[in-house]
Amino acid sequence: MNYEETLARLCAIGAPSGFERPMAQAAAELLRPVMDEVKIDKMGSVVAVRRCGKENAPRLLLDAHLDEIGFIITGHEEGFLRFAPLGGVDPRMLPDRELTILTQPPITGVVACMPPHVLSDEERDKSLPIQELFIDAGLSQEQAKARIPVGTPAVYRAGCAPLGEHKLCGKALDDRACLAVLIDAAQQLLGEKLDVDLYILGSVQEEVHGTGAITAAYGIVPDLCVAVDVTHGSSPDAPKDETFPLGGGPTVGLGPNCTKWMGERFCAKAEELSIPYSVEVMPGHSGTNGWDLQITREGVATAVLSVPLRYMHTPLETIHRDDLTAAARLLAAFVKDLGKEVPTYA
Amino acid sequence: MSLSILELISKLTAVHGPSGDERAIRELIAELAKPFADEITSDVMGNLVVHKKGSGPKIMFAAHMDSIGLIVTHIEKEGFLRVGKLGGISPKDVLNTRVRFKNGVRGVLVAEEKTEDKVKLEDCYIDIGARDEEQARTLVQVGDTAVYDTAVYNTAVAEVNGRVISPYLDGRIACAVLLKAMEQVTARENDLYFVFTVQEEVGTRGAKTAAWTIDPDYAIAVDVTDVDDTPGAARYGTCKLGCGAGIKVMDHSVICHPEVVDALERCARDKGIAVQRDILRAGGTDAGPIHVSRTGVRTGGISIPCRYVHTPAEIADLNDCAACVELAVAFARSQMTAI
Amino acid sequence: MLELLKQLCLLNGVSGDEGEVRAFLRAQAEPYADSIRTDALGNLIVFKQGAKATGNRLLLAAHMDEVGLIITHVTDEGFLKFGFVGGVDRRIAIGKPVVLGSDRVPGIISLKAIHLTDKAELKKVPKTDSLYIDIGAGSREEALKKVPLGTYGSFVSQPEEFGDGFFKARAIDDRIGCAIMLELLKEELPLDVTFAFTAQEEVGTRGAFGAAFSVTPQVALVLETTTAADLPGVDSHRRVCAPGKGPVISYMDGSTIYDRGLFEDLRRLAEDNGIPWQTKEYIAGGNDARTIQRTKQGVRVAAMSAATRYLHAPSSVASVADFKNMQELTRLFLLDQARQAN
Repeated sequence: MNYEETLARLCAIGAPSGFERPMAQAAAELLRPVMDEVKIDKMGSVVAVRRCGKENAPRLLLDAHLDEIGFIITGHEEGFLRFAPLGGVDPRMLPDRELTILTQPPITGVVACMPPHVLSDEERDKSLPIQELFIDAGLSQEQAKARIPVGTPAVYRAGCAPLGEHKLCGKALDDRACLAVLIDAAQQLLGEKLDVDLYILGSVQEEVHGTGAITAAYGIVPDLCVAVDVTHGSSPDAPKDETFPLGGGPTVGLGPNCTKWMGERFCAKAEELSIPYSVEVMPGHSGTNGWDLQITREGVATAVLSVPLRYMHTPLETIHRDDLTAAARLLAAFVKDLGKEVPTYA
Repeated sequence: MSLSILELISKLTAVHGPSGDERAIRELIAELAKPFADEITSDVMGNLVVHKKGSGPKIMFAAHMDSIGLIVTHIEKEGFLRVGKLGGISPKDVLNTRVRFKNGVRGVLVAEEKTEDKVKLEDCYIDIGARDEEQARTLVQVGDTAVYDTAVYNTAVAEVNGRVISPYLDGRIACAVLLKAMEQVTARENDLYFVFTVQEEVGTRGAKTAAWTIDPDYAIAVDVTDVDDTPGAARYGTCKLGCGAGIKVMDHSVICHPEVVDALERCARDKGIAVQRDILRAGGTDAGPIHVSRTGVRTGGISIPCRYVHTPAEIADLNDCAACVELAVAFARSQMTAI
Repeated sequence: MLELLKQLCLLNGVSGDEGEVRAFLRAQAEPYADSIRTDALGNLIVFKQGAKATGNRLLLAAHMDEVGLIITHVTDEGFLKFGFVGGVDRRIAIGKPVVLGSDRVPGIISLKAIHLTDKAELKKVPKTDSLYIDIGAGSREEALKKVPLGTYGSFVSQPEEFGDGFFKARAIDDRIGCAIMLELLKEELPLDVTFAFTAQEEVGTRGAFGAAFSVTPQVALVLETTTAADLPGVDSHRRVCAPGKGPVISYMDGSTIYDRGLFEDLRRLAEDNGIPWQTKEYIAGGNDARTIQRTKQGVRVAAMSAATRYLHAPSSVASVADFKNMQELTRLFLLDQARQAN
């Protein structure tokens, strides 16, 4: 798996929550060579399956979400566009920010910023909330209304490129980096005989309502699942006890949202294969699809495997390549011979 | 029936039905729906389901019949009633409003004299004019619910151009739209379910079970939506009064399925119905639980633009309502693909 | 000229580090120059003779430099601390990519994730000294090898046409002035003109001191950009000017009261020739004119600018029609100056 190439391609796609179709198509294309069947379900998620051939084999679901945070146009004023966020956008990222407005063809916009002379000293220290900001697309009011109707989505204008020797930086690494990890793991498992039916889910709308994970899992009825998502990477302004070093390997979740034996298996496999890793203790909501997946139908044994990512939800998310390859290796090791470990509940 | 929308609104808002206590409103709606139904049922939560049978795909329309209200939590020695809220009651919106209990007892909600600017509900109470606790207890009990006791007005002389000022348009105007729609939908293929849900205001609870039971192919949540056309508007909505039916793109609980948004826009174009796009930033609807039911439901929304939502005097445009009825009818008749 | 402007907007030249821009301008100007020199501050001064031999009478000026940043120190973990060079509103720097040094080492200025930020923090913007640049280095040594202290950094933005007749790029301020001057250099001029491509305007119109002193002109026209605040929510009396309404002819700004006669000349030339024009409807800002005007015994100064939104930010927006009109009006000004000269 060439992460640099794959992510350069995937992160350039504009697919915010609720508008994931181009990303679903790209994901389906990448999954076809490594899975038996791939389809896009009615809510837009990509569901791929590779059956092991054993009768009544346990069903394992691996999930990474397709959507990125983004924006949606809500109005027009003097040719400028009012907008609302899709997902958790940091408003301090927005002044003078270039966006891609997802019309056909896409249009570039710039989030307008007030020049200093109209602001007082206190105002210059404040960040403006999103409802006071607007996008400049260089259009008149009539043109804006005709070409960019209310409801048009938009994303940060960015892709993904190397940063330094070991890292990749771009938008939507949350969670497309982890989708690449799933594909990498599936590639590594191609030569192996499986004892579980493997489902890979590229879910929609994780950043807003968890729609994709909730509805796809209801249809798949997995016995166990692993939510693969990003976690916070360390940076100078972030608290050390809430972040993980880039290059230190993936993190294995512990806590009520993470079924104990699955977490233990991840750790054991990591030790066995000398894969660097950390444990991430989460007292409640894991902040991933794992939360919703765990309560599907009759409940699902759940694990959360995460890759440290700096600057989450900015257009400059940064991740370490080695952490991605480590996560894929660990995941493949976890899946191999998994079937016999799955407990029966009585 | 042939009651006008205005008449329906007057009837529906006069009946008691805050979240959790919807029996009276359910009975009224069942009675009004009867002539147009193949089957009427209600479920454990209290949702009312009106079924018009068809061989085609299942379409579920949902409008909530519950209203926001107040619930008595404690009766003071002097006969004053302390209250909790049913749904999103903002004290500053309801101060000094007349309220009414199911048994007809009336009172007014006030704040304690010494309250500072930011009023909390626990600093308020209902005064029903009782002399003391003993007398109060002959009139109301802890757990009794109260609703706004404000009147319904039409702002124009003839209904055709008017706007209606009324409590509880949030909920009941959508019910009126569905009642008119079911009256007008005759020949069709789609298997139609008109659902009047309960407990929407306390967390869209009724819709969850109704959707799971019906398991529809498509769903349309019909409700009011916030507007962006009043002085100092906080820009939480995109609709304006008088600009037509709202086609919901997104609210706080759902991003509508593009297939449904497109279908509604097509219906509007084909039938020349005035519409506008609705994005509601703060506020969810029954579409929330419906769209994630089971393996998911392709869900959209038809919204009635409404000012001053959750206050004792909400305002909507009767032409917008008529457009909503037309749009609902058109969608009910349109050819959708079964899953 | 738009293609030339795009090339200029891709060059990096933060105040004090204008080498790349100067080299490009010099190579472009040399074939047309009668004399060309660089001075101690890095100004590029070009003299071209015209139909009338007026010598040093007329000076045209535009600055080569742009705002940016400079690396001040490196943390143990390999993150870079920096200061802004020129007036930069730190809110537009947050979340932006930058390139450092002549090797253009990529870096990013970012903040910890929103999930790790509490409500109070979200409402405020961190001070410049708590911002940092991440170049993906794992240690101080690794970072310093690529980016020594004192390295300059520029913001990154693709120059391109945008919307309906607009242009978006970094450093429209003041590469548009440089572009117009370069195009004029290629033409037959009606009188002698000295073209000063100045350095370090953004840190206090520094290059202009030496340039004006050495040329000692009688009349100077500064070609610049100026802030447009034609945005919703801004009171009409604070909007200053707007892209698309024509070149901005200033009568006064925060640092200079322009020569009234020259202002009237420009206005007359615009009106007589059907060129749209506007003026700055708010007193603020300043440019090289403030230094040139008060050189030796004084110089009559005028300024013509392109109205530009989001100045001093990576994605500035101006009007293509304004650029063309600014170029045309400058030509007419030269003809008029030639007429006025005895």
